[in-house]
Amino acid sequence: MKILKSIYRLFFIFCFVLFTNISLANVNQLSEYYKTIRCLVCEGQSIQESDTEFAINLKEQIKKKYESGMDLKEINQELISIYGEEISFNPSNDHFILWGLPLLLY
Amino acid sequence: MRKSLIIPILGLVILGISTFVFLNKNEKTGNKDIALPSSLFNTADFYDMKTLNQKELDDVYIVNFFASWCKPCLAEHPLLMELQSKGMQIIGINFRDDEDNFIQWINEHGNPFFHIIRDDGSIAYEMGLIGVPETFFIEKSKIQKKSTRAFIL
Repeated sequence: MKILKSIYRLFFIFCFVLFTNISLANVNQLSEYYKTIRCLVCEGQSIQESDTEFAINLKEQIKKKYESGMDLKEINQELISIYGEEISFNPSNDHFILWGLPLLLY
Repeated sequence: MRKSLIIPILGLVILGISTFVFLNKNEKTGNKDIALPSSLFNTADFYDMKTLNQKELDDVYIVNFFASWCKPCLAEHPLLMELQSKGMQIIGINFRDDEDNFIQWINEHGNPFFHIIRDDGSIAYEMGLIGVPETFFIEKSKIQKKSTRAFIL
Protein backbone atom coordinates (compact mmCIF):
# COMPACT_ATOMS: atom_id res chain seq x y z
CA MET A 1 0.00 0.00 0.00
CA LYS A 2 2.83 2.36 0.82
CA ILE A 3 4.36 1.83 -2.58
CA LEU A 4 1.03 2.56 -4.23
CA LYS A 5 0.75 5.78 -2.31
CA SER A 6 4.19 6.96 -3.30
CA ILE A 7 3.47 6.09 -6.93
CA TYR A 8 0.35 8.22 -6.72
CA ARG A 9 2.35 11.09 -5.32
CA LEU A 10 4.97 10.80 -8.02
CA PHE A 11 2.25 10.75 -10.63
CA PHE A 12 0.76 13.99 -9.32
CA ILE A 13 4.15 15.68 -9.20
CA PHE A 14 4.79 14.48 -12.74
CA CYS A 15 1.47 15.92 -13.94
CA PHE A 16 2.16 19.21 -12.23
CA VAL A 17 5.63 19.53 -13.75
CA LEU A 18 4.30 18.58 -17.16
CA PHE A 19 1.51 21.13 -16.89
CA THR A 20 3.82 23.99 -15.90
CA ASN A 21 6.24 23.08 -18.66
CA ILE A 22 3.53 23.11 -21.27
CA SER A 23 2.14 26.43 -20.14
CA LEU A 24 5.63 27.92 -20.12
CA ALA A 25 6.38 26.73 -23.62
CA ASN A 26 3.41 28.36 -25.26
CA VAL A 27 3.79 31.95 -24.17
CA ASN A 28 5.04 34.76 -26.32
CA GLN A 29 8.06 36.87 -25.51
CA LEU A 30 6.40 39.72 -23.66
CA SER A 31 4.46 37.60 -21.22
CA GLU A 32 7.64 35.64 -20.65
CA TYR A 33 9.24 38.91 -19.68
CA TYR A 34 6.42 39.81 -17.26
CA LYS A 35 7.38 36.77 -15.23
CA THR A 36 10.76 38.31 -14.42
CA ILE A 37 9.24 41.47 -12.97
CA ARG A 38 8.27 41.50 -9.33
CA CYS A 39 4.99 42.98 -8.25
CA LEU A 40 6.02 45.37 -5.48
CA VAL A 41 2.60 45.22 -3.82
CA CYS A 42 2.64 41.44 -3.31
CA GLU A 43 6.31 40.73 -3.39
CA GLY A 44 6.28 36.99 -3.98
CA GLN A 45 4.39 37.31 -7.23
CA SER A 46 5.42 38.43 -10.67
CA ILE A 47 3.33 41.04 -12.43
CA GLN A 48 2.20 38.31 -14.81
CA GLU A 49 0.39 36.53 -11.99
CA SER A 50 -0.66 39.55 -10.01
CA ASP A 51 -3.90 41.45 -10.51
CA THR A 52 -3.12 44.53 -8.47
CA GLU A 53 -3.60 47.92 -10.07
CA PHE A 54 0.18 48.35 -9.90
CA ALA A 55 0.83 45.18 -11.89
CA ILE A 56 -1.88 45.91 -14.44
CA ASN A 57 -0.51 49.39 -15.00
CA LEU A 58 3.07 48.17 -15.26
CA LYS A 59 2.06 45.56 -17.83
CA GLU A 60 0.28 48.22 -19.85
CA GLN A 61 3.23 50.60 -19.73
CA ILE A 62 5.74 47.89 -20.64
CA LYS A 63 3.55 46.77 -23.52
CA LYS A 64 3.25 50.35 -24.77
CA LYS A 65 7.03 50.81 -24.66
CA TYR A 66 7.63 47.44 -26.29
CA GLU A 67 5.25 48.23 -29.13
CA SER A 68 6.86 51.63 -29.68
CA GLY A 69 10.12 49.85 -30.44
CA MET A 70 12.07 49.71 -27.19
CA ASP A 71 13.70 46.35 -26.66
CA LEU A 72 13.31 44.39 -23.45
CA LYS A 73 16.82 45.13 -22.22
CA GLU A 74 16.24 48.88 -22.38
CA ILE A 75 12.87 48.51 -20.67
CA ASN A 76 14.50 46.43 -17.96
CA GLN A 77 17.15 49.06 -17.35
CA GLU A 78 14.55 51.80 -17.17
CA LEU A 79 12.48 49.81 -14.69
CA ILE A 80 15.49 49.22 -12.47
CA SER A 81 16.41 52.91 -12.56
CA ILE A 82 12.88 53.86 -11.50
CA TYR A 83 11.95 51.17 -9.00
CA GLY A 84 15.32 49.93 -7.86
CA GLU A 85 16.78 46.50 -8.27
CA GLU A 86 14.12 44.66 -6.31
CA ILE A 87 11.71 45.06 -9.23
CA SER A 88 13.54 42.30 -11.14
CA PHE A 89 13.56 38.61 -10.24
CA ASN A 90 16.90 38.23 -11.98
CA PRO A 91 19.60 39.44 -9.65
CA SER A 92 22.52 41.36 -11.08
CA ASN A 93 25.97 39.80 -11.02
CA ASP A 94 27.42 41.89 -8.20
CA HIS A 95 26.04 39.58 -5.52
CA PHE A 96 28.81 37.04 -6.04
CA ILE A 97 29.90 37.27 -2.39
CA LEU A 98 26.45 36.09 -1.34
CA TRP A 99 26.61 33.06 -3.63
CA GLY A 100 30.27 32.27 -3.06
CA LEU A 101 30.53 32.51 0.72
CA PRO A 102 28.80 29.26 1.64
CA LEU A 103 31.10 27.38 -0.70
CA LEU A 104 34.12 29.03 0.87
CA LEU A 105 32.99 28.35 4.41
CA TYR A 106 32.04 24.71 4.08
CA MET B 1 37.30 22.42 19.19
CA ARG B 2 38.96 25.44 17.62
CA LYS B 3 37.60 24.76 14.18
CA SER B 4 34.04 24.40 15.38
CA LEU B 5 34.25 27.87 16.89
CA ILE B 6 35.68 29.64 13.84
CA ILE B 7 32.69 29.16 11.58
CA PRO B 8 30.00 30.58 13.88
CA ILE B 9 32.19 33.52 14.84
CA LEU B 10 32.98 34.25 11.20
CA GLY B 11 29.27 33.95 10.45
CA LEU B 12 28.40 36.43 13.17
CA VAL B 13 31.03 38.86 11.93
CA ILE B 14 29.68 38.67 8.38
CA LEU B 15 26.13 39.09 9.67
CA GLY B 16 27.24 42.14 11.61
CA ILE B 17 28.95 43.71 8.61
CA SER B 18 25.99 43.05 6.32
CA THR B 19 23.55 44.50 8.86
CA PHE B 20 25.70 47.59 9.18
CA VAL B 21 25.91 48.02 5.39
CA PHE B 22 22.18 47.41 5.00
CA LEU B 23 21.23 49.93 7.68
CA ASN B 24 23.47 52.56 6.13
CA LYS B 25 21.87 52.08 2.74
CA ASN B 26 19.20 54.45 1.54
CA GLU B 27 15.52 53.67 1.77
CA LYS B 28 14.41 50.41 0.23
CA THR B 29 12.79 52.08 -2.73
CA GLY B 30 15.82 54.15 -3.52
CA ASN B 31 14.23 56.16 -6.27
CA LYS B 32 14.32 59.58 -4.66
CA ASP B 33 16.74 60.80 -7.30
CA ILE B 34 14.38 60.41 -10.22
CA ALA B 35 13.38 63.66 -11.85
CA LEU B 36 9.81 64.85 -12.07
CA PRO B 37 8.44 63.73 -15.44
CA SER B 38 7.74 66.47 -17.95
CA SER B 39 4.26 65.03 -18.53
CA LEU B 40 3.39 66.28 -15.06
CA PHE B 41 3.83 69.84 -16.30
CA ASN B 42 2.48 69.31 -19.81
CA THR B 43 -0.84 67.74 -18.88
CA ALA B 44 -3.75 70.16 -18.57
CA ASP B 45 -5.75 70.58 -15.41
CA PHE B 46 -9.00 68.63 -15.44
CA TYR B 47 -11.19 71.62 -14.54
CA ASP B 48 -9.68 74.76 -16.07
CA MET B 49 -7.67 73.05 -18.85
CA LYS B 50 -4.55 75.05 -18.06
CA THR B 51 -1.15 73.45 -17.86
CA LEU B 52 0.93 73.89 -14.75
CA ASN B 53 3.04 77.03 -14.69
CA GLN B 54 6.26 76.27 -12.84
CA LYS B 55 6.61 79.92 -11.78
CA GLU B 56 3.33 79.74 -9.90
CA LEU B 57 4.61 76.93 -7.73
CA ASP B 58 6.14 77.48 -4.32
CA ASP B 59 9.51 76.09 -3.38
CA VAL B 60 7.86 73.29 -1.46
CA TYR B 61 4.82 71.45 -2.67
CA ILE B 62 3.17 68.04 -2.61
CA VAL B 63 2.25 65.61 -5.33
CA ASN B 64 -0.49 63.27 -4.20
CA PHE B 65 -1.75 60.26 -6.12
CA PHE B 66 -5.33 59.29 -5.34
CA ALA B 67 -8.29 57.42 -6.76
CA SER B 68 -11.97 57.28 -5.96
CA TRP B 69 -11.82 53.50 -5.55
CA CYS B 70 -9.18 53.77 -2.85
CA LYS B 71 -10.25 53.74 0.81
CA PRO B 72 -7.00 54.96 2.41
CA CYS B 73 -7.15 57.97 0.06
CA LEU B 74 -10.46 58.89 1.62
CA ALA B 75 -8.94 58.47 5.06
CA GLU B 76 -6.13 60.91 4.36
CA HIS B 77 -8.38 63.34 2.51
CA PRO B 78 -9.25 65.55 5.55
CA LEU B 79 -5.54 65.99 6.19
CA LEU B 80 -5.00 67.19 2.63
CA MET B 81 -7.90 69.64 3.07
CA GLU B 82 -6.25 70.95 6.23
CA LEU B 83 -2.88 71.31 4.49
CA GLN B 84 -4.51 73.21 1.66
CA SER B 85 -6.27 75.59 4.06
CA LYS B 86 -2.85 76.33 5.55
CA GLY B 87 -1.56 77.33 2.14
CA MET B 88 0.22 74.21 0.91
CA GLN B 89 0.06 73.64 -2.83
CA ILE B 90 -1.04 70.10 -3.61
CA ILE B 91 -0.92 68.62 -7.08
CA GLY B 92 -3.46 65.83 -7.31
CA ILE B 93 -3.03 63.01 -9.74
CA ASN B 94 -6.07 60.84 -10.26
CA PHE B 95 -4.69 57.38 -10.91
CA ARG B 96 -6.58 55.06 -13.29
CA ASP B 97 -10.07 56.11 -12.35
CA ASP B 98 -13.50 56.31 -13.86
CA GLU B 99 -14.33 59.89 -14.81
CA ASP B 100 -17.85 59.97 -13.34
CA ASN B 101 -16.72 58.38 -10.09
CA PHE B 102 -13.87 60.86 -9.88
CA ILE B 103 -16.12 63.91 -10.35
CA GLN B 104 -18.59 62.56 -7.83
CA TRP B 105 -15.82 61.83 -5.33
CA ILE B 106 -14.46 65.37 -5.58
CA ASN B 107 -17.95 66.90 -5.29
CA GLU B 108 -18.70 64.80 -2.26
CA HIS B 109 -15.49 65.21 -0.31
CA GLY B 110 -14.11 68.55 -1.47
CA ASN B 111 -11.20 69.56 -3.61
CA PRO B 112 -7.92 70.30 -1.80
CA PHE B 113 -5.91 70.26 -4.99
CA PHE B 114 -4.17 73.19 -6.59
CA HIS B 115 -3.92 71.29 -9.85
CA ILE B 116 -5.65 68.07 -10.83
CA ILE B 117 -4.52 65.70 -13.56
CA ARG B 118 -6.22 62.52 -14.63
CA ASP B 119 -3.60 59.92 -15.37
CA ASP B 120 -3.94 56.64 -17.26
CA GLY B 121 -0.83 55.33 -15.53
CA SER B 122 2.08 56.76 -17.49
CA ILE B 123 2.91 59.57 -15.04
CA ALA B 124 2.59 57.08 -12.22
CA TYR B 125 5.01 54.77 -13.99
CA GLU B 126 7.57 57.50 -14.51
CA MET B 127 7.41 58.57 -10.88
CA GLY B 128 7.70 55.02 -9.62
CA LEU B 129 4.29 54.72 -8.02
CA ILE B 130 3.59 51.49 -6.18
CA GLY B 131 0.03 52.04 -5.03
CA VAL B 132 -2.43 54.75 -4.18
CA PRO B 133 -2.38 56.77 -2.05
CA GLU B 134 1.17 57.89 -2.46
CA THR B 135 2.58 61.28 -1.63
CA PHE B 136 5.75 62.93 -2.86
CA PHE B 137 7.21 65.93 -1.04
CA ILE B 138 8.97 68.19 -3.48
CA GLU B 139 11.42 70.96 -2.76
CA LYS B 140 12.91 73.03 -5.58
CA SER B 141 11.54 70.57 -8.18
CA LYS B 142 13.37 67.63 -6.60
CA ILE B 143 11.70 64.79 -4.80
CA GLN B 144 12.79 65.06 -1.17
CA LYS B 145 10.69 62.45 0.50
CA LYS B 146 8.29 59.83 -0.59
CA SER B 147 5.65 58.29 1.57
CA THR B 148 4.27 55.11 0.12
CA ARG B 149 1.39 54.79 2.53
CA ALA B 150 -1.26 57.19 3.62
CA PHE B 151 0.53 59.30 6.15
CA ILE B 152 -2.20 59.40 8.72
CA LEU B 153 -2.63 55.64 8.84
